[in-house]
Amino acid sequence: MTARSDKVCLMVGTRKGAFVFTADRGRKNWKMTGPVLKGNDVYSMAYDKRDGSILAALSSGHWGPTIAKSKDLGKTWKVSKTPPKFPKSSGLSVSRIWQITPGSEKQEGVVYAGIEPACLFKSEDGGDTWKANEGMLNHETRKDWQAGGGGLCLHTIVLTDKRPKRILIAISAVGTMRSDDGGESWEFKNKKVMVGYSPNKYPVFGQCVHKLAINDAAPDMIFQQNHFGVYRSDDAGDNWKDIRNNLPSRFGFPAAVDANEPRRFYLAPLEGDFSRIPPGGHFAVWASDNAGAEWNKLDKGLPESSYFTVLRDGMVADQEDPCGIYFGTTTGHLYASRNQGEQWEKVSDVLPPILSVSVSAT
Amino acid sequence: MIHVQLSGQLRDWTRGLSRVEVDGASDILSAVRKLDATFPGLGQRIVDDQDKIREHVNVFVNLENSRELGMEKAKLRDGDTVHILPAVSGG
Repeated sequence: MTARSDKVCLMVGTRKGAFVFTADRGRKNWKMTGPVLKGNDVYSMAYDKRDGSILAALSSGHWGPTIAKSKDLGKTWKVSKTPPKFPKSSGLSVSRIWQITPGSEKQEGVVYAGIEPACLFKSEDGGDTWKANEGMLNHETRKDWQAGGGGLCLHTIVLTDKRPKRILIAISAVGTMRSDDGGESWEFKNKKVMVGYSPNKYPVFGQCVHKLAINDAAPDMIFQQNHFGVYRSDDAGDNWKDIRNNLPSRFGFPAAVDANEPRRFYLAPLEGDFSRIPPGGHFAVWASDNAGAEWNKLDKGLPESSYFTVLRDGMVADQEDPCGIYFGTTTGHLYASRNQGEQWEKVSDVLPPILSVSVSAT
Repeated sequence: MIHVQLSGQLRDWTRGLSRVEVDGASDILSAVRKLDATFPGLGQRIVDDQDKIREHVNVFVNLENSRELGMEKAKLRDGDTVHILPAVSGG
């Protein structure tokens, strides 16, 4: 692991490349690098604390998807010569890379990627070469998996140092799957999660999960924003409980958990799948301090009237104290809060449509 | 000898070269494989995991679009010029 510096790095993936913002730990004045990786949709970026690099998942409409890596906080990039690729026998071809997630501190060189069509890929050399997860590629139910509106995408990978063999993933519109053996085998974890568009409201799989989030301090408590609800599991996904309560809508995409308070959970509700705009024409982040029992609107510093949309990877929590929350919109607005969403400050309003926001101390 | 003309973004893979030569390629796919052997990573930008020319990539043999010639199986002859270009996708 590299020595910790005094910087915070905010990585913003857009439809026109990526931008990297850095600030000191006070997180007041952000310095922008970019655009970099021009010509690519950047669906996911991640800071790898093990070697101080930034990983980015790129998808080009012309030249296909790939992975890029920067060792100087986004100034220069090296694009993989052997990005994720399905075996020919599968008949599949990688169309987009939705998520990139470094392995735990002890898993040297391990990086995971979430792929469309849905599959988990693993690299054991820091992202240079990749292999499809065979348990998922050959899963007995795969032929019955159906795509969500964004495609049949594996968009979320949740790892925890406290359970080193556990991998949680989410696929639209297949649901949540969990492996407890490092990815050898997979089980669906969708009990009591509703599928609103099916006559069978509670099938084993087919759920349209939009995002999962945890705090490593409470590794079995998982929060889920779903197409048809907001849920919490207290047993690593074995059972889910509806926690919509006083939220203005059950629909939305991103989800984040506070770095210091594992029961504090952030969402960005939209009216519904019929109208993907903020309730009442007023965008706000909503947070619960008690794991979803009740919710509070966090809108101080945000426009009174706004039709922002935040995509599934467009909101994130940092690891500072007090916890910082960041969101980016499809209109290219980037907002930050240094105090758990109590006050928002605009970082930029001139970016391309934002697909992903991630953050890390460097 | 096949002459291959590459569009701007692909030159990132060829150290800036816009025109390269490949020897002994009988069809487009074998030319792509030879290009990839010389410039690792370039091949996957042109063809997908199933070795099909990507949907929004156009490959011309001399002045004919490979879509009319069998796509990646389009035959090449010594002296041919292959152009690899992004399709005009969108409005």
